[in-house]
Amino acid sequence: MIIYKSSSLEIWAVMIIYSQMNMPQKRLSKEAVKVWIISEMIMNLIGFMIIGVLLYLDYFFSWQEWIGWILIAIVVISVLGTVWSFINPLLRYKNWRYDIDEEFLQLKSGVLYEKHELVPMTKIQSVATKQGPILRKYELYSISIETMGSSHTIPVLSKDIAIKLRNQVAHYAKIKEVES
Amino acid sequence: MTKTKRHHPLLMLIHLWTLAKRFIFFVVYLFVIKADSESSFIIYGRIIIFAAFGIMVITIIWTWFTHKYKLDHKSFHLYKGIFIKSEQTIPFSKIQNVHRHTSYFHRVFKVTSIHFETGMTGEETTVKFEVISHIEADRLEAHIKSTDGDALTTDDVKDTKHANLNRNIHFEPTKMDILKASFTSLSFLILIPLVGSFYSKINGIFHMEKEAKGVFMNIISSEWMVTIIIMVLVIASVTFGIVRTFLAYGKYQISSDHDRIYITKGVIEETSFSISKEKVQAIEIKQSIMKRLLGLAEVKLTSAGSLSSDEETLEINSLYPFLPVKRAYEMVSEILPSYEVKQKMIRLPRKSLWVRLIKPSWIWFIATAILFYFRPSILKVEQAWWILSAVLFILIAVLRLLEFMNTRFILNNQFIQFKTGGMTTSLFISKRDKIIEVKVTRNIIQQMVGLASIGTIHRAKPVHHAGVDDVPLELATSFYHWYMGRKNEIKLE
Repeated sequence: MIIYKSSSLEIWAVMIIYSQMNMPQKRLSKEAVKVWIISEMIMNLIGFMIIGVLLYLDYFFSWQEWIGWILIAIVVISVLGTVWSFINPLLRYKNWRYDIDEEFLQLKSGVLYEKHELVPMTKIQSVATKQGPILRKYELYSISIETMGSSHTIPVLSKDIAIKLRNQVAHYAKIKEVES
Repeated sequence: MTKTKRHHPLLMLIHLWTLAKRFIFFVVYLFVIKADSESSFIIYGRIIIFAAFGIMVITIIWTWFTHKYKLDHKSFHLYKGIFIKSEQTIPFSKIQNVHRHTSYFHRVFKVTSIHFETGMTGEETTVKFEVISHIEADRLEAHIKSTDGDALTTDDVKDTKHANLNRNIHFEPTKMDILKASFTSLSFLILIPLVGSFYSKINGIFHMEKEAKGVFMNIISSEWMVTIIIMVLVIASVTFGIVRTFLAYGKYQISSDHDRIYITKGVIEETSFSISKEKVQAIEIKQSIMKRLLGLAEVKLTSAGSLSSDEETLEINSLYPFLPVKRAYEMVSEILPSYEVKQKMIRLPRKSLWVRLIKPSWIWFIATAILFYFRPSILKVEQAWWILSAVLFILIAVLRLLEFMNTRFILNNQFIQFKTGGMTTSLFISKRDKIIEVKVTRNIIQQMVGLASIGTIHRAKPVHHAGVDDVPLELATSFYHWYMGRKNEIKLE
């Protein structure tokens, strides 16, 4: 029991060290939660409509029994998914952080699966602001950043911040290091 | 600066040859198999084939007339296009590695092929000379070498020519090495199915036609006869294995000069590879179980340019795949003095073993679900399905245990070094300035016990991801800070 306690203390100490690792500070736009919930709701609605049609067809043509069971399972999972889609955006927003300086782009996201990325500015090849229909309605932008090896997205930002950030990244990324 | 030149005329021949290979199926079908057919489909088919072949031949010749190349003091200029003319400029500084291949075809005509691989993405980023005379290939390579990086004066060019003679040979396999290699590559194992089927056939004859072929059986069933046959087979397959290994790795040579590494291999088909030392993105030392038992290892160089030519997936980036371990480590420091290999590394903490063991295995879940559904009885054992599932479970656990035991990690000044893998281990060494991106991830279990996974991305074609799972959080943090320190090494343009 004592051993367990000391080890959990150790973990706390480590967590403190971890939290000191120059965490990125900037957050997404507060509207992110709203936008995500709306888009998830649209997706859910479409999903439920498809299931509804399938259930009706199942009833009407009296398909085989196992198909009915599978459909019921899908309904249960979708309902749970819908509940989750109201909680998830909040958690996502709470945990999303980004930051840039002359040398690095830092991204941190995720709750159950936390991801912490560090991208040198010199390796960024392109940066773009993007806007889907929902984002456009609220005058928001997402930023996508392509590097030599991967692509990253900062999902929901207000217009001013997004454009400023894009220009800043573009400016920093102009500096190239000697490749060898 | 050189004159604008056309490619070697034999290029047309090699293109004709590939064209013929592509058409052979249609020709055989339309003119041999359906030779007597009068159906309009076949007749029109023949006409179309004729026309297509004619057009292709004309295209090949015309293409040859329009494709030209030129070199100036810092880049390739490639001209091509029949209707749409294009001019492509590829600077020498973007060339990551040089790859030369001499196939049977090239040997017959005393020519070779040479590829200059760039690290750029997109199509047509490789400067290819499918057919080129040896002299011209040497000239191109020397030209690029002399102008690589900064523009050099003519004196420097002379210097590099001089340095060419001073190539250091690091490794040439001895007969013993080849024997060991052929043993490791297990090519002799081909004898097992052969002998197996042979034996079962003898048995079949023995049981079924005992009386009918009594005399013959006396010979075949006598033990010494069988022994001799098996001996012959064993010798044959071992010889086969050795010959195969010799053909692939016999004339291997690893050499280097002041700024480049050269690897040459192949007895009949010759392939050579050269890379500038600065452009080595990472080193990987790989060992399979067999190699670990025999104390051998393979050293691989990661390059940002592509490493295999289109047709063969033959990887030439490997320094000899069957190097004695000690020699492998020595060679890394000889060839790449800027790299440092530390033998002593940090192991993972005990808790990461538990994290690895409790992680659900999808393979096991799916396999068990399938076994549960079908419940096959193997060798008349009804319970076979759960026995198999249990065996698989144990195998996965053992594999994870091995992975845990093999995993090591160290950050050493500007170097990162980690070893991973269960059955086949791989030791990965790279420099901070060669890593183009890093990440630290933690899933829910790792968050609870204070572990993290680290990952790096390197330039290669396609990009190379590497990393270690379940390292202590402190290490992950220091890894993150370590990468931030890369500003000390990079040079800005």
